[in-house]
Amino acid sequence: MNRALTRLSLAVLVMFGLLLINVNYVQAFQAGSLATKPANGRTFEQQFHYQRGSIIAAGGNSNVTIAESRPAKGSTSTSTSTGSTTYTRYYPFGSVYAPITGFDSVYGSTGIEEAYNKYLSGTASNLAVHNLVSLLTGKPKQGANVLLTVSAKAQQAAYQGLQNDGGHQAGVVALDPTTGAILAMASTPTFNPNKFTTLNGTKFDQIDKAYLSDPAQPLLNRAINETYPPGSSFKVITGSAGFSSGKYAGPTATIAAPQPLTLPNGNQLNNDGGEQCGDGHPQILEAFYLSCNTAFANIGMKVGGPTLQQYATKFGWNDSTLTIPMPVSASVVPRVTDKSFTALSSIGQFDDQATPLQEAMDAAAIANNGTLMRPYLLQSVQAPDLTTLAKTQPSVLSQAVSSQVAGDMQQMMIAVTQNPAGTAYQTAGPPTVGTLVIAGKTGTAENGLTNTATDDAVFTCFAPASDPKIAVGVIVKGGGFGADAAAPIAVKIIEAYLGVK
Amino acid sequence: MTAISDSPSAARPSADAGVAMPRNRRKTELLMLAFAIVVVLFAYASTGFGLNGKVPAGLLEYGFAFAALMLVAHLAVRRFAPWADPLLLPLAALLNGLGIVMIYRLQQSHQIITLSSSATAEQVLYSAIGVIAFIAVLVFIREVRVLQRYTYTLGALGLILIAIPAMLPDSMSEVPGTGAKIQISLGGFSIQPEQFAELGLAVFFAGYLVAKRDVLSLAGRRFLGIDLPRGRDLGPVLIAWGASLLVLVFESDIGTSALFFGLFVAVIYIATQRTSWLLIGILLFVVGALLAAKLFSHVGARFTEWLHPFTLANINCNPLAPHDHCVSSYQLVQGLYGMGSGGILGTGLGHGQPYITPLVQSDFIMTAFGEELGLTGLMAMLLIFGLMVQRGLRSALAARDPFAKLLAGGLSFALALQIFIIVGGVTRLIPLTGITTPFLSQGGSSLIAIWAMVALLMRISDSARRPAPQPIQDEGMTQVVRAG
Repeated sequence: MNRALTRLSLAVLVMFGLLLINVNYVQAFQAGSLATKPANGRTFEQQFHYQRGSIIAAGGNSNVTIAESRPAKGSTSTSTSTGSTTYTRYYPFGSVYAPITGFDSVYGSTGIEEAYNKYLSGTASNLAVHNLVSLLTGKPKQGANVLLTVSAKAQQAAYQGLQNDGGHQAGVVALDPTTGAILAMASTPTFNPNKFTTLNGTKFDQIDKAYLSDPAQPLLNRAINETYPPGSSFKVITGSAGFSSGKYAGPTATIAAPQPLTLPNGNQLNNDGGEQCGDGHPQILEAFYLSCNTAFANIGMKVGGPTLQQYATKFGWNDSTLTIPMPVSASVVPRVTDKSFTALSSIGQFDDQATPLQEAMDAAAIANNGTLMRPYLLQSVQAPDLTTLAKTQPSVLSQAVSSQVAGDMQQMMIAVTQNPAGTAYQTAGPPTVGTLVIAGKTGTAENGLTNTATDDAVFTCFAPASDPKIAVGVIVKGGGFGADAAAPIAVKIIEAYLGVK
Repeated sequence: MTAISDSPSAARPSADAGVAMPRNRRKTELLMLAFAIVVVLFAYASTGFGLNGKVPAGLLEYGFAFAALMLVAHLAVRRFAPWADPLLLPLAALLNGLGIVMIYRLQQSHQIITLSSSATAEQVLYSAIGVIAFIAVLVFIREVRVLQRYTYTLGALGLILIAIPAMLPDSMSEVPGTGAKIQISLGGFSIQPEQFAELGLAVFFAGYLVAKRDVLSLAGRRFLGIDLPRGRDLGPVLIAWGASLLVLVFESDIGTSALFFGLFVAVIYIATQRTSWLLIGILLFVVGALLAAKLFSHVGARFTEWLHPFTLANINCNPLAPHDHCVSSYQLVQGLYGMGSGGILGTGLGHGQPYITPLVQSDFIMTAFGEELGLTGLMAMLLIFGLMVQRGLRSALAARDPFAKLLAGGLSFALALQIFIIVGGVTRLIPLTGITTPFLSQGGSSLIAIWAMVALLMRISDSARRPAPQPIQDEGMTQVVRAG
């Protein structure tokens, strides 16, 4: 009988071995994926029982906390079922940083709160050792801090600029052209993330419904997720394509700019206000700072639709995969083969659509001698013990144009604000900003099929022109002239960021 | 208490023969028992801190009561089974204590409607009754051999105990919310007779097979290198198989059915040492399981739940009204989520949310331990169970009497099988079948029965380790036998 008993013991050993292996599988290997499985109420509740990491605007020598977790009022150890403190999220600046931070709520999160949740919640794998140490030393679990490239000064200026603009729907993005770091990102109308932080599900539902049913779409981040016709600001791309393709030698080359220009399909294309463009055969430089439609329509038609699209793509257009880390809607330049439509497309009309971020990227590529840096928000991740867990290394997104073409384009963009006849001379030139040289391009886009609404105002620029530190793209829907409605917002951001005035 | 088993006083030197008598190791047991009590009290204190940030009410009183209870058990062992295995009692005390702590923790969450506010006190009371049963077995059964006389009586009693709930109306026999007809419920008090039936059947199987093992060992035809038993000897195994299938059909209790059949196959294998019996048993089990899965929806549902627990339709399925397209997997996945959230080191007692899992105080209590004590704690508890089974099997190996051997082997294997079925079920290693977790699950019947079982194992090990009577040779030809 002992032989059978010994064998039975072996069977028992195998049974317990299987149990041990299986619990290891469930609790060590499967734990991560279990946390995201449906109806997992534990993960859902737990997130409010420890201190989530802060989000800090750390760009431009600032270090401003823009989202933090605070112990909820009256949450002592006896008031909750689990006995631990309940934390609620707090956004000290209300809606100023809303398009960046998003919100963290009982029903999920948006923006940076969503994108870097694993760091903020402390579940990232490179925080495991740290969590273990905290556990062993009896310290409460704490999430990591996320430091953003956002400059508090630039962001305040961007937010104020849009707020003071009379309630138009608008978006703005400011970039560091040399790195791609996002310095500011604002959108109006916007929302107050503090309203979403309630731990009361019913209250959350009411607030969420109110925001979602608002026709002004306050939750939409217009800076990256809404596209508008770029209008004349697209001439930056058309000009770059003209020079890069070798069809035009440089800014001093002349170009036919009749008023009006009869398109191959018989339609007539006018300059803005039906004005003449110089002597009808101006240098491209002059056509640029005067923003002559017919001149750039001719350039576009000579370059050809497909080539135009190809160069636009090098500036980041038509890319639906870009994330900052929030997904960015693609700015669109369709592949146009019809010459008449190419003419319209090359002045930022027809089906061209751009996000404010794309406008900033256009200027940033020119400012950075043709090299377009990948835009990003994350500067670094800091563990609770202040060690750095992750850091963004700036990377090149594409070489948009050669440095020579970039130089040509810089020269033309400087003229827009510095030549007394330039479209932005009054609003972004010496009369407004004195000695600071901003290089830019205005856009005033007709919108809608019937074009009955007020034009969209666009401005793409960088500064200082000699040593670019900031590039800005602004689009104000229904703002009117780009120089009047959009440029002043960009100027305010640039001045705030560079500390002039 | 400085030395454990090396203490010279533990070994009474035999002045006559000059041969050292083996130590009975009661001091080891006392020391391990003290350790178990300290662990349980720490767990209780930790629960209080976790829940309310302070030492829980009644730490001293409860602690004293629990320690006193276990001490009484220890003294009974000293008096009635001095040569018993020294680890079984401390292991049982540790598991029983941790079970009470977890019931207390769950009840204190005030989140479980199925757990009354007096659940902890009741569990302590059941533990006391369990210890009384433990002592009673040691006092009244001085040799397990006496049970052999009641082989058929106990077997019949076991069958009756199993059958009673099936005869009763659902309102009296069904465990609320599970569909399993396994209890006798009268005026708010309920008892699960099958827990005790297991003991009776184990005695029956052991007694019957001791008598018949020679016949059952006879080889019939050889097939594929295996000696098959004779066809006419297949009767008993078929009857056991049929009986366990009946349990399954009439009481919807798959776990117990598998447990009883497993117990029978294990005992017949130990008795005959014939692998063929094992193979026949496994074959019959597989056929039975497949047949049941096809024929009875509640068995098939267990497979679906096991294979597709994370399907939304199954998670959201109403457990009281599952239909063609869904099988409620809510409880299973919540148990897994709990274990996942506990991770490697657990949330700490009182810090997790085990109460989210429905009926966690019963079948799913191991997932609560997994959540709050983590993988580390869960593995430690599995090892404690494993150690307990190992001590039982050791007693079986050491036993000289064939009946005792079979009984100890059968009971130990049944314990292992029960742990495998329930822990494997809640951790999704195998399809989930409702069955209590020994020592831990809330409820009296299971706890009392398991204490009685531990007492039987200790009685068997006591008999096995008791030194043979020393002959005193000085009296010339007349030998006086000194009782050990």
